[in-house]
Amino acid sequence: MTDLAARLDRLRGAAQPRNHDARTIAALTSNPGCARRGVLDAAGIDKDAIAAELGFAAPFGQSQFAITRGNVFEAQVKADGCAELLSLLRDRLGLSIPEVAYDDLGVVGGNESRKVRHARTRQLFARALGEGPGTLFDHPLLRLDIAGQPAYLEPDVIAFQFEGRFHIIEIKSFAMIDGQADPAQVASAARQSAVYVLALRRLLTELGHDEDTVSHEVVLVCPENFSNRPTATFLDVRPQLAVLRRQLARLTGIDRIVAELPADLTFEPGAGLAGAVRSVEARYSPDCVSGCEMALFCRDEARACGSTGALGRSIRDDLGGVDSIATALALADGSLEPAEELAETAAGLRLAARLRREALGAAS
Amino acid sequence: MRESPDALEERIAELRGAVRRAVAGGDRRQARTLRARLREAERAWDRAVVGEPEPAPAAAPPDRSVRVPAREHVHHALTLLGGPAAPKLILAVHDAFFPGPLGNSRISSLRRDEERSFRGSPYARPYYVCAALTADLLAPARGLLAISTWPLERRMVGPLSPRTDFLTAALRIAEHLERLGDVPTPGARRLLWRFAANIPGAAADPGAAQPAGLAAAARAELQVHAEADAAHRATAARRALDRLDEAEQLFGARLTAVRRRTGTHGKTETEPST
Repeated sequence: MTDLAARLDRLRGAAQPRNHDARTIAALTSNPGCARRGVLDAAGIDKDAIAAELGFAAPFGQSQFAITRGNVFEAQVKADGCAELLSLLRDRLGLSIPEVAYDDLGVVGGNESRKVRHARTRQLFARALGEGPGTLFDHPLLRLDIAGQPAYLEPDVIAFQFEGRFHIIEIKSFAMIDGQADPAQVASAARQSAVYVLALRRLLTELGHDEDTVSHEVVLVCPENFSNRPTATFLDVRPQLAVLRRQLARLTGIDRIVAELPADLTFEPGAGLAGAVRSVEARYSPDCVSGCEMALFCRDEARACGSTGALGRSIRDDLGGVDSIATALALADGSLEPAEELAETAAGLRLAARLRREALGAAS
Repeated sequence: MRESPDALEERIAELRGAVRRAVAGGDRRQARTLRARLREAERAWDRAVVGEPEPAPAAAPPDRSVRVPAREHVHHALTLLGGPAAPKLILAVHDAFFPGPLGNSRISSLRRDEERSFRGSPYARPYYVCAALTADLLAPARGLLAISTWPLERRMVGPLSPRTDFLTAALRIAEHLERLGDVPTPGARRLLWRFAANIPGAAADPGAAQPAGLAAAARAELQVHAEADAAHRATAARRALDRLDEAEQLFGARLTAVRRRTGTHGKTETEPST
């Protein structure tokens, strides 16, 4: 374990490690077979910087306006000791009047180090479950094992204790109009919240409590209609939790991947960077572009070597075992005899080629 | 005859060195005269290089409002609120009740300036705009301002304090509005609405909230939390008096300082418990 940590440090070089957040973990689970992303993330490498160094800077990330809008709304909901949030919770959940305790875990005694904050988070949660006070916990710092490596999570959420159960409160700035919000936004919020729910469950099990102490219902706080007034709804994240669990378990063990890499490999910026990145296998598919900073580099690589993955995940799965487009074409026009295990794929390809020929022939 | 820019630069460097030596040697009067000469030289350099007569200060539009320092404004607003408050609330209260400009940027650096001033010459000012302290670690609470002349308990922030401070502020604002009696300004109305919307029973329609209703509702909820919160604050204040030096009592202790001081108590609250 310490060996692995030292190894990952070496891979990272002199740069500071980057924190995971729910966004990166949610993205990680969307492509669990990608060793490149797995290694880069496990080592906490700044993928954005690497992509820029390689000349494939991705126009990636949230718009600055969206971020500002999100921060302003969040600040408004949390202002004056979470006054607006408390009214909402009292209104919707029947939170009783005496339950107003608020603890900010964003800074502990002027110290923002992750270790101290995580320790403090544990301490306060333990106290809250043992008859102590504690209703709202702002900015808890959680930890989750990603591919055998503990990763700190910097959630921008509030954990909220109500009738002995914890809920995650996620404050988002997209509008809820007539009780309906943009499904894509809600889905992404649910995916992120599921990561927090899982991490919080881990924490409480470590403290010796039942997993169900953390509710699978997340409180989603959004602006109501076209106003700036917040409204709250429950979001059931059980499906997302199940997906996340399965994906995390499937994540290839990082130690195995790292063990196969050359011992002197490093991702320090410099002449050897492109070679170093290429030496770790990627698994590109077009939807990477919406979730990974390295996507443009991987796309270029996949296109250059004619990988079937560049055509999309479903095509790659249909062509199981055929890695390159050239091979697929050769199989289709019969210029290449398929090996036994590819016979079925080849038959499919030939059928498709014949259909295409006939269709084009009929048209002309 | 004008000096050349080169000669001036040399002289400026010389004078800077002289000022530094004078300050280090504690000769304040000498330092002041030297600095005056330094400024003179710098102006001459401006004229020599840019070749412009410096803009006359009188050309600036006369500022009719009395220039009140930001700390005074903040002091007024905080005194009215009666408890630690965030810059945003301070600004809202200032806009509602007090004249004169006060910008967010002027507040943001205030606490640091005040701390520097206090550490430079303690108690030279009648009051300082200082920090509220977290009750558990006695560290400066994030984003809250307070007044140094308040009793220490009032500057403590326990888990319940954000709410009690909010309710106290609501009560004080409502009472202030009742005292004023006349039609509230738009700023004051907004403030009233903001408090009434988030205190149960203050008004059926927050838009039509009245000061009397707000005061009653705030008082009622305050009663629920007051006792527990006061006890919490009092214990924390005693601990702060016990463990912190004067500057730390006003501006908070950093985590390392608390550790050093509590090391013998065997209860380092922040030690990872694994």
